[in-house]
Amino acid sequence: MAEGERGKPAKYSAAGLLRRGLKGESWPRVWQEHELRTTYDAVIIGAGIHGLATAYYLAKNHGINRVAVVDKGYVGGGGSGRNTAIIRSNYLTPEGVAFYDRSLTLYNEMSAELNMNVMFSKRGHLTLAHSDAAMRTMNWRAEVNKLSGVDSSVIGPGEVKKLVPSLDTSLASRYPILGALHHPPGGTVRHDAVNWGYARAADALGVEIHQQTEVTDIFVAGGDGPQNKGTGGVVKGVRTTRGDITAPVVVNCTAGWSSLIADMAGVRLPVVTHPLQAAVTEPVRAFLPAVVVSGSLHVYVSQTARGELVFGAAVDPFATYSTAGSLEFAEGLASHVLQLMPGISNLRLLRQWAGLCDMTPDYSPIMGFTPVDGFICDVGWGTYGFKAGPVAGEQIAEAIASGKTPELIRNFALERFADGRLVGEKGAAAVGH
Amino acid sequence: MSPSRLPSGGAVIDRSRPIKFKWNGKSFTGFEGDTIVSALAANGVDVFSRSMKYHRRRGILTGDFWDPNCFVQVGDEPNVRAGHRLISAGIEVSAQNVWPSLERDVKAANGLVGRFLTAGFYYKTFMKPATLWPKYEKILATFAPGGAIDIESTPGRYDKRYSHPDVLVAGGGPAGMAAAIAAAEAGADVMLVEHNHQLGGHLLWGSAEDQKRAASLGARCIEVGVEVLTDSTVTGRYDGSWVAINQRNVAGETIERVVKARAKCLVIAPGLIERPYIFEGNDRVGVMTSGAARRMLNMYGIKPGQKAVVFTANAAGDAAAADLADAGVEVTTVDGRTGADVVRASGSGDRVEQVELADGTVYEADLLVTAVGWTAPTSLANMSGDRPSYDPSAARFFCTSLPDDVLPTGGLAGDGSLEENLTHASATGRLAARRGLTMRNQMRSMTPRASTGVPAPIKDASEPAPLPRANHPELFRSTTHGLVDFSEDVGSKDLWAAAAEGFDSVELVKRFTTATMGPSQGKLETVNTVAVLAEYLGQSIEEVGTTVWRPPYAPVSLGALAGKNSTPHRISSIHVWNKANNCKFIHAGAWLRPDHYGNAQAEAKNVRDNVGIIDVTPLGKLDLQGPNVPDLLELLYVNKWRKLDIGKVRYGVMVGEDGVVLDDGVTARLGEEHYMMTTTSSGAASIWEWAENWLQTERPDWDVRIVPVTTSYTSINVAGPKSRELLLKICEDVDLSNEAFGYMSARPATVAGVAESLMLRIGFTGELSYEVHVPAAHGLKVWEALLDAGKDLGVKPFGLEAQRILRLEKGHFIVGQDTDGLTRGASAGLGGLIKLDKDDGVGLPELRWAADRTDLAQVVSIALDDGMIVPEEASQLVDGETNTIVGRITSSRMSPNLGRSVCMGQVIPELAAPGSKLTVLLTDGRRVPAKIHTDHAFIDPEGARLRA
Repeated sequence: MAEGERGKPAKYSAAGLLRRGLKGESWPRVWQEHELRTTYDAVIIGAGIHGLATAYYLAKNHGINRVAVVDKGYVGGGGSGRNTAIIRSNYLTPEGVAFYDRSLTLYNEMSAELNMNVMFSKRGHLTLAHSDAAMRTMNWRAEVNKLSGVDSSVIGPGEVKKLVPSLDTSLASRYPILGALHHPPGGTVRHDAVNWGYARAADALGVEIHQQTEVTDIFVAGGDGPQNKGTGGVVKGVRTTRGDITAPVVVNCTAGWSSLIADMAGVRLPVVTHPLQAAVTEPVRAFLPAVVVSGSLHVYVSQTARGELVFGAAVDPFATYSTAGSLEFAEGLASHVLQLMPGISNLRLLRQWAGLCDMTPDYSPIMGFTPVDGFICDVGWGTYGFKAGPVAGEQIAEAIASGKTPELIRNFALERFADGRLVGEKGAAAVGH
Repeated sequence: MSPSRLPSGGAVIDRSRPIKFKWNGKSFTGFEGDTIVSALAANGVDVFSRSMKYHRRRGILTGDFWDPNCFVQVGDEPNVRAGHRLISAGIEVSAQNVWPSLERDVKAANGLVGRFLTAGFYYKTFMKPATLWPKYEKILATFAPGGAIDIESTPGRYDKRYSHPDVLVAGGGPAGMAAAIAAAEAGADVMLVEHNHQLGGHLLWGSAEDQKRAASLGARCIEVGVEVLTDSTVTGRYDGSWVAINQRNVAGETIERVVKARAKCLVIAPGLIERPYIFEGNDRVGVMTSGAARRMLNMYGIKPGQKAVVFTANAAGDAAAADLADAGVEVTTVDGRTGADVVRASGSGDRVEQVELADGTVYEADLLVTAVGWTAPTSLANMSGDRPSYDPSAARFFCTSLPDDVLPTGGLAGDGSLEENLTHASATGRLAARRGLTMRNQMRSMTPRASTGVPAPIKDASEPAPLPRANHPELFRSTTHGLVDFSEDVGSKDLWAAAAEGFDSVELVKRFTTATMGPSQGKLETVNTVAVLAEYLGQSIEEVGTTVWRPPYAPVSLGALAGKNSTPHRISSIHVWNKANNCKFIHAGAWLRPDHYGNAQAEAKNVRDNVGIIDVTPLGKLDLQGPNVPDLLELLYVNKWRKLDIGKVRYGVMVGEDGVVLDDGVTARLGEEHYMMTTTSSGAASIWEWAENWLQTERPDWDVRIVPVTTSYTSINVAGPKSRELLLKICEDVDLSNEAFGYMSARPATVAGVAESLMLRIGFTGELSYEVHVPAAHGLKVWEALLDAGKDLGVKPFGLEAQRILRLEKGHFIVGQDTDGLTRGASAGLGGLIKLDKDDGVGLPELRWAADRTDLAQVVSIALDDGMIVPEEASQLVDGETNTIVGRITSSRMSPNLGRSVCMGQVIPELAAPGSKLTVLLTDGRRVPAKIHTDHAFIDPEGARLRA
């Protein structure tokens, strides 16, 4: 079998680069193009990190590879390609820590696992505290982390300055830095590479990726609601802009439109969609060695390998599907960043953009089965879906294959909103990048 | 190529004013009006930077703001656009990211292995061994482009300005000027914003006649009262015609500012940006656009080379050939309209020495000028909701559907002669004026005022006749491959390789190769990228589409965006006294608050023994009036409110819709339909918003008016067994006896002669205490009167720290400290307060569920067996010797009144009963025993003191 054919992707390596460089050969397609078939074992809606990871683990861990991942745009074009790619596991609750720690493990192994360098840069993650109250929360997180075996600790302003010299740690500053939660294993990853890596690896295992294929309806039979959809129904397949598909399993891995997709199956989600804006500066020589987060100032910042500063903030306070950026965001962001690092006022903002975040009432995702048999959700990821993509995919794949909700995601079921068992990561996740 | 200054010419330089500056440590002289690039070129400098990946020498490409080859460091400022920035005396300019020097740069060695460093190569290697990745990462980071920032540099002065023009014109070329003039003549207030240092656009680098025309149009702009901003860029248009302008040449000390304009009508006239041509060697020093050559010649009097090949497909290229010949350059013209093509530029030292044509002809030349067409900068149209479409016959994009208050003119609208352009622009300006003035009049009619006369109706303000579109050959790439993105060192070959790998949509190819992602923001690269991809896919440019141009149009400094960047602290009227009296302040939200006055333990003790006063001004205060106030209170609080008598106070807790504790405080009924609500200090703003949100969106039929009065009053808590005695001395109009003014009552009062004050008898500290709210202007007077009158009673000020100790002794929780994002009302020990039998209430369903829950953590008071240990807040409660978390300490202090530590915490319900044994894991790793305290309060659980 020649290199690049199904089941055996061309291996990425330095030697490969050398050989192809010498021969002037190009690399085979990262994933194949296919005609859309009329039937699959599972249809996954959304070719972002969650959908692609789910497909990959379905094929790899469970041998289920008659799977189509469909997307109305292109691979990684939504939140997966718009986020600020920060990875950490220093959460507040033991459940949160266990879940994200598994995600961190998968990120650690990812380059080798997917044979794609996702450039996981473990540069350390600092959450700054500007008030006694924030210090108390940092201490709390550090103590929980310590007991869960997660490497994080509270450090003082002196150590903060040593780690990130560009921060103004003088107590005279308007938002004095009283200390920080330091999480050395946290860092950044190249988000596109993660998306492409999962797409390529899933494709190699037989999964089909269909871009420019928008789902316009979900077929459900036997439900209590209108058109026989909703509670008690059984999913039958989807209608797409490229044709109808029959499938016993349909997975909603979308963001920004997850409630609209769920609505197609007659399932109501407690989701409100807010834009989250981000921005990037012109590149400069490396000067910011860690990811810096300030909850009080609603900003997080890191410097990419290319030298740009990447900024994010809290979600916009209003619900909308628009991704047009606002001037006020850029102004507020600059103001807050300069409060932290007054020395960079002559650095220029190059580009701003927005992504859509599906927020749930408890700032935690909705994962697992729904009242429609065969319709599975992995949605409501708010501002932090990227960090959790690998582990969510792994767990959702297991749920599909086993028909049972895995322990790690048990707390995130849709029913919790009906019986009041909310998840308490609000404190760590709200601006917790 | 060795450029040089011509003996005469140069429309924008003043040869009588030489200016000295430094380039890479050496002194150079230019003239006033010179950019860094023109001044250096005048001195024979032809290399300004090294390319990002292969570190090839780079010279002038476009010679303006967008030139990706001319980014330099000026002092501590990185990434300065040397094609745009003017020289000034003494500036130190240096090349970025080169070592040891611009001419001998060691990283040029990358060029030798270029074929292995294909776009995205880093995704495919450096994976094994994983332990080495951090080292590779460091090496890769050294290849990042850009200058250096100086983290110690002090921020200069930046500012903001607001403006409300009737018509805002973006772009000060001939069309923009004509539009501005016509709009101003029609009576509109007009602002004209030009990116470059002078008005004129392409006329500036045109013939002498063109330059004269530019000058007369510019003069006319001033005559008719157009406000002109030069060296300023319209960087974005946002919803509601909110337009951002980055002004870089503010007079005085200010470095830059952002002008925020609510433009009633926006005219976009940015002109066109000349595209580079893609062929082998197109990034060599000496290859430039026709605009670059003409800018050098006609604006700065610089001869860009000696022997030139001009590859032209349009009038701009023909004009460049003529201008070069006039300047004494030996010119060979290659006409792209006849099918002739340039395939290769070659030479040594990354410079052009030979130019090879498709027919095999080779010319010796040190300059290759290309004129292959234009990119329409449709950014502002994009930001206004337009999705431009591609016209193959004109080889560029045009706007399709703009809102009524956005009008394009100039190159964005079409071609035609200068006169045709001016006619179109004037008509556009008149139309913009009509629309802008119509809106102004509408806004006026909404404002009550004496009639000031309405501007006369504007004549001749019909839609402008469309401009013709000139035919232009679709020249993007030659038969050879060359660079597409000069900032990123991405070539057409890289784009094809990426497409072959499956990155075959614009978005994917952009992300994979980083083409268009650099500091030029795709101005020169986007359309070429699309064209190269379309060619590979065998599709049309329209089919492949284009990416969305996002704001800002040109990069804006963080300083300008932030403006003055002052976030003042809020302080109370007592602040000056506190400052003078050894007070240590604490940051609390927006406020600076007194933390302590030297000894918090003594302050806390004095409150229990004598009397203390604390400045609690930041406490949220909402004045509520209207017949439906009880309904609102009943909705927001977990308890009942319909039977509160006038003069009485009640404590309440608010929960969110998830049943989680949100805020707490007391509300007093002051009159029939008049209430005063107090919130926590941190909730002052959010609870006001919360209440308004419920009123405005869910209960619009209720008649309740809310006025936030937090800062209208100075609030002082007088606490301690002698507080009544103290107040008796300075308050005469209230009967303070326990019978007349009991616990949880409210009275209007005159305190220390200050009328219209309000006194509440409540007690967070657990002592007999009065919360006194006096009109803010008199706060300091009352404070000083209390201290003066209470001398013999032992009155002392106390701060937040003492208050924290006192409330902890009393077992009162603090929302957000002892409760968290999961604490339901019932688990905060509020079981008795919550009324589940109400008709409605925020979070009521959740509270009902929670009432049946047995698994929610409880807020409890905790005593360590060893009272000398004060555990750190956040210490975890664990199950014996294991690491299983069963709760945590949320508050912890040494009690000066009990001589032992007192704590609050959260714990699983199984361990919440009084007397339950706990293990506290101290942050130093020790495990110490503790018990749930018998009562919630450590001091006075019966409440005898506060009811005394």
